Amino acid sequence: MSASAASKPAHSTKTSDSKEEEAQPHLGVLEEDDEFEEFPVQDWDDSQTDLAHLGGTAPGAAKSSGDKLWEDNWDDDDIEDEFSVQLRNELAKTTKEGVPMQH
Amino acid sequence: MPVTFTQFLTQIATALRDENGLDLAYLVRPTSPHGKDIVKEFRNPSRQTLSRYEGAVENPWDEIAIQYVLVTTHVAKQRYTEAFKEQSHLVNLFLRFFAANSGWTLPALFAILRDLRDLAFDVNILLALQADVQADAGQKSECMESAARVISKAFSHCITDRTSTYDLSRKWGVYYVVGLILKSYFRVRRISLSKNILRALEANKDIPPLSSYPKAHQVTYRYYLGMLSFLNEDYAKSEQELTLAFYTCLVSAHNNRERILTYLIPLRILRGHLPSRELLEQFPVLDQLYSPFVQALRKGDIKGFDAALDASERRLVDLNLWLTLERAREIAIRGLFRRVWVASQKSNRIPVAMIHSALQVSGMEVLVEEAECLVATMIYKGYMRGYISHEKQMVVLSNNNAFPRLADRQTPFAPY
Repeated sequence: MSASAASKPAHSTKTSDSKEEEAQPHLGVLEEDDEFEEFPVQDWDDSQTDLAHLGGTAPGAAKSSGDKLWEDNWDDDDIEDEFSVQLRNELAKTTKEGVPMQH
Repeated sequence: MPVTFTQFLTQIATALRDENGLDLAYLVRPTSPHGKDIVKEFRNPSRQTLSRYEGAVENPWDEIAIQYVLVTTHVAKQRYTEAFKEQSHLVNLFLRFFAANSGWTLPALFAILRDLRDLAFDVNILLALQADVQADAGQKSECMESAARVISKAFSHCITDRTSTYDLSRKWGVYYVVGLILKSYFRVRRISLSKNILRALEANKDIPPLSSYPKAHQVTYRYYLGMLSFLNEDYAKSEQELTLAFYTCLVSAHNNRERILTYLIPLRILRGHLPSRELLEQFPVLDQLYSPFVQALRKGDIKGFDAALDASERRLVDLNLWLTLERAREIAIRGLFRRVWVASQKSNRIPVAMIHSALQVSGMEVLVEEAECLVATMIYKGYMRGYISHEKQMVVLSNNNAFPRLADRQTPFAPY
């Protein structure tokens, strides 16, 4: 009897754990336990690598220097979305409220 | 026609005579087709009943062949613990032969070490199925650590080759073997043990440069080195190694590229390099994970950024990536401040009150003092250039390059 009483709490912890597991959106194959796989061949040519994207520049650079896979120049001056409107309204209010704009 | 054990011994003798490493590798793998034939030939083999084959080929290959029968039989009957034990013995016998021969034997070495590690892996799975994973954590890692020790012995035999010619040096096995050891330690989360092998590698300067090794060896080694640096929070080194791993990786090895990018993308983001659509579209899983962050950063959308952190929290924590991405939040704040600056016609004077209300629009309920402090932090960290006039409650920005490009920051990974 004591044994069954002792096993009960352990059991209920387990169920709550598995529930939490389900709540997390599943992302498919990306698992921490995945490991780096054995390559089917030992060696290959540069043309079979992503170096082909670099157009001759060194790896570690970004789009402005030829690599199409990364962008290092992405500051955007013309974002138009709901947030922009909200931001402008708020800024106009702040200016009106008497904080002087100096130039 | 089934291969008999006697034929198998003859084939080994031929491979030894011709110094054919690939044939030898094929012969010693339990998964090769002749493995099944040999299992059928001997119903209940033991070292004793097989001892009559001793001397049939040159030692230690007679003993290795006998071990092969034992391993293959255990594998066929799914007795992985026993198979692992016998394979360890097989590897030790092979190492005696390996130490006295040149690098033509490397394909066989790679094959038997890989099988050893795979068997340790199978034992792990078996133990996990049999019992509570937590209780057997120690036992689980025991096989894998024992495998790593045997593989480390092979490493010593590779690195100490002083007699073979350059082309045929056993040193050409060094990085593959190190890759296997690191893989084993990562599997059982005994990552700190990796330091010993890396130290041993560093102590030996007279090995060929990494770039002259087969690309498979280079990529695997750089991946694990990058991962170790990542876990030690040496982000600059990690980014460097993972970048080289990525650009050396075989394009068709999709899972490996995805694995590298999982860690490279957040590091690149901290440097101000965002993954392009062209890159993310190749990896739907990474697209789903990272696109919300990328979009939020482009828009200086702190709310969106926090929502992305929340939504993927468990996944990011499991991958040890949560803290790394959390650091990128500063980039979102920089983006917001930059938008305030653009919205005020790039004026070089921005009232702290404006920054404050922009933060509030973004859902950050902070005091004016906190907003001012945040600006000071951003200036200090080099995200924006200027100073704060505290009396006038005014942020005075530099007339040129008020928001330097993120990619131009000198120390993008500095934790401060």
